[in-house]
Amino acid sequence: MKGISNTLRTLRYAALVGIQDFRAAYTWRTWLSGWLVRVLAQVVFFAFVGSLLRSHERTYYLLIGNTTMLASISALLVISWTTWERRAGTLSLLIAAPTSALPVLLGRSVQWVVDGALISSIAFYGVGLLFRLPMRWPNVLLVAPLLVVVAATTYMFGAFLAALVLQRIGVRNLAFNITYLAMMSICGVNVPVTFLPGWLQTLANLLPLTHGLNAIRALLSGSPVAAVVGSLGMEVGVGLGWLTLAILVFGVTLEKTRMDGSLEFAD
Amino acid sequence: MRPFLAACQLQLRLSARIPDDLMVLATVPLYTVMFLWMVKYAGRLDLLGYALLAPVLIALWAMALFVSGEIVERDRAAQVLESLLVTPTAFPLVVFARITTVTVCGLGAFLEVLVVSRLVFGVTLSIRHPGVFFLTLAATTLAMAGTALIMSAIFVLQRGARIFQNSLSYPFYVLGGVLVPTAYLPSWLRPITQVVFLSWASDLLRDSLLSRPVGAVPFRVGMILGLGVGSLVLGWLLLNRLVTRARGLGTVAMA
Repeated sequence: MKGISNTLRTLRYAALVGIQDFRAAYTWRTWLSGWLVRVLAQVVFFAFVGSLLRSHERTYYLLIGNTTMLASISALLVISWTTWERRAGTLSLLIAAPTSALPVLLGRSVQWVVDGALISSIAFYGVGLLFRLPMRWPNVLLVAPLLVVVAATTYMFGAFLAALVLQRIGVRNLAFNITYLAMMSICGVNVPVTFLPGWLQTLANLLPLTHGLNAIRALLSGSPVAAVVGSLGMEVGVGLGWLTLAILVFGVTLEKTRMDGSLEFAD
Repeated sequence: MRPFLAACQLQLRLSARIPDDLMVLATVPLYTVMFLWMVKYAGRLDLLGYALLAPVLIALWAMALFVSGEIVERDRAAQVLESLLVTPTAFPLVVFARITTVTVCGLGAFLEVLVVSRLVFGVTLSIRHPGVFFLTLAATTLAMAGTALIMSAIFVLQRGARIFQNSLSYPFYVLGGVLVPTAYLPSWLRPITQVVFLSWASDLLRDSLLSRPVGAVPFRVGMILGLGVGSLVLGWLLLNRLVTRARGLGTVAMA
């Protein structure tokens, strides 16, 4: 019981560190005029493709896909932000400490889940209104909680990638960019997953975002509750699977570096 | 000319050693596949050219923003800015040469798009007016380098501006008509697109792919060059101001 309490306390402090990092990078003014404008422009960019294709249906499809994608993009920043612990030189201290470093590494980028849920919700309701996206009432109110789920599950996947990148921090930005573009390509954001070759459909079904996006589309199209809940359950299951892998890989990496003291000498 | 070439050589060696410098080129195949899937799914094969040009323009802009824009800041962080400023060569010339090198490397995206579209989809970019196409590409490269010169100066002169570095991507992809022509944007946005050289470049590049005659080529190329040269002059002046201020205050390391 005490162990759980300690872990939760460490997670809380890790999250507070993450929030302070975030506040050091952004003020409200720069977040609104910089980051938010950029991500809204991304949604608008893809929504206009629907206009180019002269199809309201495509516009709405792209709009929903790309607003949901924003939740994943933010959450994937866990890949690069986790490496800050090593770049700041504090990871060695964490490894040497009697408490596990795992909760710190898993919790110190959680601010991006909040950011992802927030910007994707603003984009969905704001840009959605701009492009006259049909908003089925009251289903539309449930989109925001679903975006939180997508951000959280993608964070779990991102944590797995962060564990892999921790020993190769030079590729952190590359890993982030390639991952988010790959997800944007195959997870049903811009074209349905069923349009892709079979092996890519399999891969897409193993990634977060795919099922969460299905749940959001089902919700907005008025599909039966079972369809929404089913997709949501798949999304959560996929996320927890990646979280388990993240914990395993972080554990192996931290144990190895504790034994041979190699982390500071890694790439 | 010798300092220019030496600076180009330096940048090539630096970029070959920094993974992030070539990261943009690693994203080009993904953009290409994604855009091609979008037009194929919609059954609009007439828009293949749009889908193939967009990744090239995105790559060129991203290289300008994230690689060229960082050049002066990186030199400052590596503490070589002081040495550069005491050499007799004009500092803006060195920066411009390095930016030009980065921008020309960015043109590698064009080859990537050709290879990926051929290998994955069995399609190729059909250029009906190669003269116009390559002339526009050359003008675009110059304008891109000029714009990057402004960015490299501003990111150092105004530290607060760096937070907006990442924000200058998608808004300019929209205003520059990189994938969707600016004619599809709301009418109130169109006047702004006229001062974004990318909008002239993307329209002219797309037109050069079509079999119908391309209209007003000298004027449109002139607009790209005019906006590009204007950016170049402004960037040059800003960098000179940076040098003068840093020398005068003795704050090069903190410029």
